Amino acid sequence: MTSMEKRLQKELQAMTKDPPVGVKVNMESLSSNLSEWVVDIDGATGTLYEGEKFQLGFKFTPRYPFDSPQVMFIGRNIPVHPHIYSNGHICLSILTEDWSPALSVQSVCLSIVSMLSSCKEKKLPPDNAIYVRTCSKDPKKTRWWYHDNSV
Amino acid sequence: MGNCFKSSSNDDISLLRGNDHHDPALEPAPFVEPPPPYRPQQRMPIFHPSPGVSRPANQLTEDEQIKIAQRLGLINHLPTGKYDGTNKKAKECVICMNEFVFGDELRYLPCMHCYHRECIDDWLMRSFTCPSCMEPVDAALLTTYQTS
Ligand SMILES: [Zn+2]
Ligand SMILES: [Zn+2]
Repeated sequence: MTSMEKRLQKELQAMTKDPPVGVKVNMESLSSNLSEWVVDIDGATGTLYEGEKFQLGFKFTPRYPFDSPQVMFIGRNIPVHPHIYSNGHICLSILTEDWSPALSVQSVCLSIVSMLSSCKEKKLPPDNAIYVRTCSKDPKKTRWWYHDNSV
Repeated sequence: MGNCFKSSSNDDISLLRGNDHHDPALEPAPFVEPPPPYRPQQRMPIFHPSPGVSRPANQLTEDEQIKIAQRLGLINHLPTGKYDGTNKKAKECVICMNEFVFGDELRYLPCMHCYHRECIDDWLMRSFTCPSCMEPVDAALLTTYQTS
């Protein structure tokens, strides 16, 4: 087993044994070497996304956890949020330049849940139309300029 | 008769002139080194000269090679030690998520977080920050090295 698989195996164990509220690993989605995951996310109660269900797709390189995972919303329901593009790409600094190997699938999911929960107005990012037309398929290739973090 | 100053004739000088110009045809051919032997490169280390940039060691620019050598030097200045269980706070390496076992080789960062040496060295080559607290690893030391 590679070091990526060993670590993901541990993360998977922890997340299935003691799953955080509103975050559930979709077991059927796991590829045999664990390099691809789908995580089901529930919009938290008392927030603008209450009752909505979303899916996050994770892709890991063999260099995980030194390389950040590729993370994006997938499926039919993409949350409408000022930091989430309509193609599922997420503008979140820990997914690129602020990544640290101390972060995990669980901490990434929780950051995204809290990013959704703190949203006060459902609206697309201001540059959504042009971004979705011109971006790379891999959100990690985007040179994000981080919008203000107040939202 | 007064003392007459006598200027030297040109004749003496002409005697000194030898045939000292170079004939390129007579010079030895410059020594050419043989090419280095071919080495299969299956285990070429990958380096990360800056965040998001990774390249095999043989494709680095000179500047990048210098930066990497400096970084390696800095990393080797950070203290190491074997896990002996005395530090109750440090139980697991957050990079590989394995618990420390007696005899594991650890490296200590200035913020007092510690990791397996192998795990953290890999990360420090990419980013000179502590994965746990994001504290820069002795930025002062880094700048003195870089400006010298
Ligand atoms: Zn480790
Ligand atoms: Zn630290």
